[in-house]
Amino acid sequence: MKKFELKGLDMTLYKEKFNNGLEIYLLPYPNKKNYFISYATHFGSDILSFVDKDNKTHTPPLGVAHFLEHKMFDQETGEDPFAFFSKSGTDANASTSYDNTQYICMGTKNFRENLRYLLKYVNSPYYTDANVEKEKGIIAEEIKMYDDIPDYKLEAKLRECLYKNSPRRIDIAGTVEEINKITKEDLYECYNGFYKPNNMFIVIVGNFSLEDATEVIKEELKDKEESTISKIEHIKEPKKVNEKELVIKENIEVSKLAFGLKVPIKDINMKEEELDLYLGMITNMLFGASSEFRERVRKAQLLNNIYTEWEALEDYRTFYLMASTKEPDKLLSEIKDELSSLALPEKVFKRIKKVWIANEVKMIDDIDATMYNLFDDITKYNKVINNRLELIRKMSITKLKEVVKKIDFNNTSVVKMLCNEKED
Amino acid sequence: MQVINKDLGSYNLHFIKTDLFKTITMKVIFHTPIIKEDITKRNILSDILLQSTKEYKTRRDLTIKSEDLYAADIYTANQRVGNYIMTSFILQTLNDKYTEENNFEESIKFLHEIIFNPDVEEEKFKEDKLELVKSNATLALNSIKEDAANYSLIRMSEAYDKTSPISYRMTGYLEDLDKITEENLYEYYERMLDNDYVDIFILGDINEKELLPIIKKYFKFKKVKKRKASYYLPNKKPRKRRLFAKETTKNSQSKLAIACPIAKMTDYEKNYSLLLANIILGGTGDSKLFKEVREENSLCYTIRSNYNRLDNLMVINAGIDNVNFDKAVELITKNVQDMKKGKFTDADINVAKEFYKTSAESLMESPSRIINEVLTEEILGVEPLSERVRKIEKVTKRDIIRACKKINMDTVFLLEGGNK
Repeated sequence: MKKFELKGLDMTLYKEKFNNGLEIYLLPYPNKKNYFISYATHFGSDILSFVDKDNKTHTPPLGVAHFLEHKMFDQETGEDPFAFFSKSGTDANASTSYDNTQYICMGTKNFRENLRYLLKYVNSPYYTDANVEKEKGIIAEEIKMYDDIPDYKLEAKLRECLYKNSPRRIDIAGTVEEINKITKEDLYECYNGFYKPNNMFIVIVGNFSLEDATEVIKEELKDKEESTISKIEHIKEPKKVNEKELVIKENIEVSKLAFGLKVPIKDINMKEEELDLYLGMITNMLFGASSEFRERVRKAQLLNNIYTEWEALEDYRTFYLMASTKEPDKLLSEIKDELSSLALPEKVFKRIKKVWIANEVKMIDDIDATMYNLFDDITKYNKVINNRLELIRKMSITKLKEVVKKIDFNNTSVVKMLCNEKED
Repeated sequence: MQVINKDLGSYNLHFIKTDLFKTITMKVIFHTPIIKEDITKRNILSDILLQSTKEYKTRRDLTIKSEDLYAADIYTANQRVGNYIMTSFILQTLNDKYTEENNFEESIKFLHEIIFNPDVEEEKFKEDKLELVKSNATLALNSIKEDAANYSLIRMSEAYDKTSPISYRMTGYLEDLDKITEENLYEYYERMLDNDYVDIFILGDINEKELLPIIKKYFKFKKVKKRKASYYLPNKKPRKRRLFAKETTKNSQSKLAIACPIAKMTDYEKNYSLLLANIILGGTGDSKLFKEVREENSLCYTIRSNYNRLDNLMVINAGIDNVNFDKAVELITKNVQDMKKGKFTDADINVAKEFYKTSAESLMESPSRIINEVLTEEILGVEPLSERVRKIEKVTKRDIIRACKKINMDTVFLLEGGNK
């Protein structure tokens, strides 16, 4: 097992890769009561089609990864995984995203039994015509629930504008029409392709012993065979955004604005983990809580609430800014002003570095946050960044400006969501 | 962990010593019996205090200062706790061990500045600042329906009992917003400082002897106060027939929300039997409602029950398709009846007890949950957590059945969708 010091945080991460390809990441805490286990596959809604070892191409209906996640909870034994974990008061759940699906449990006791069970149930698919059919109603309600959330729809529309071909245009859960086409055969094909050790990983954080964890994992997973997938169809996404601007009307009371910046990263010659820090720094300096932009739009009453984030795709990074605003056009012109002036004073740069350093130290106190941070690193970089504090300390304003030069700040999409006229 | 409580006359100071965290958390809580017409004012007040102070003239100046204090998080929150409204000012920053000396004292000073040195002149808040927070509040109040699940709960509680604090909208009311002026907001602020009960918590790896004089120096209130009114709401008279109410929306999904008052609970039922009953009925992904309504009948994606001992109320809510309304209500009714008839197993009870214990154990992971626990023990007079964990073990099936017999499915509200 390899040891990595999380530098500056007094923690040690352990990593091992088994012969069958499975990777495990273990971060034990000396003074916590809880543990958090995640068993995950690099299979999410990003994968639209794949080729098996017999050279046959499979293109399952949209939303299949998420559907499969729901169906993992049906076991041939008839036992409900939730019920098993409940016996020791352990919380269990699962989630599907664009690039992964994870099965988690969080508890304070029965570590070995719960870990073993988590691996066992995710390794035992049981799909029948009847249980697949029954799930369709539940997932349809889930899709409808999100459909009714205006912010969710706003983001979906922005994705359609930013991307021309990428699967990120499509909702993770698919559509009601598509999921109704899913069969048990689709699920088995995906399962056999992607739920295999060489495509999976385990992360454990919190109160547990290394010996217990490795022993159980070895016993449960040593005989699992590797995946039979020979190729995943890679979808080419053009550098330019798909559509510059879209205006839609919804039943809302306050209009909304979504702004996206698409950054192809192949042209920027920098390690991704470092580049992500610089990209975050640029938008934090321009649009963050202590930015002049915020003060200005607040004073002009242009902003109700705001949400920003960077998203990682294989060859891209995309910046999202979403806000509720009475005047989307004025807010948009403020955003554009900010991006054309690109004021990045060193004093602000230093202050944000200090904030980030403090936040790294604070985060390690929180098992959940640390877990998601490790998980993010693994899905984004295929490794854990164990020297992030050092990377932050080493950031320089010169490098920041070099990155800025390589970004086309006009490669943007905008969605304005306006209020429908009221019916009498 | 060690808790040291000090009654300083005009407020209670609580030191919670623990070395589990690299941060120090400070929470200043103002509480007073809730008055519907004051909710909006209170929201505006806690917003405006975070816009500027005498020393820091803009929100940006305040943010920069908190960033300089090693990214100190400072925020306010208003919540209803039974019969009371609580306004909290929360500060969390790194322990001095990880920063430079005096970072925490500087942070205390900063929190003091926000609470005690507002940006006022001639006993008036600034006009432009008030206009700004009012404009934000207006937008928020106007978009209240966007969160359909939350809106259905609000409408359900209004249908349940318009006169009870349960139905008060914590987001406030547009008509009250219009009445707020620079002058009357300042009057309200002064009243809050003078009359509200105040609790101050400091949690972390701290030295209380060093901190006590610092807190005393910065936090001074004029009046000595003792809590009088109870935090528990009185029981509501039971309705003779179940009330059905609905509102239509243009959403695709419908939201079902059901109020189940629980009449005349004993203290034991409040703190033990009903907690377990709620976990069994709808508290987890393994609950009766989840299994029967979602897994067996595919009627919904979300369904759960929540129990609030201060309100004497259990609330069941679910997102459903319109056409399944009758069937969902019928199934939920059946499950509540089953609880009363004792149609649940000893295994169900054990699962609920384990959930309770895990939740109690994991309390130690979160500074805010620890503070909340210490506060709850004090204001509600409930037994210490270790004692509650011991007692929950002993709750019997008969105890749970007896408590469930007091549950009454009183008001069924549907936020009707499917009308696109």
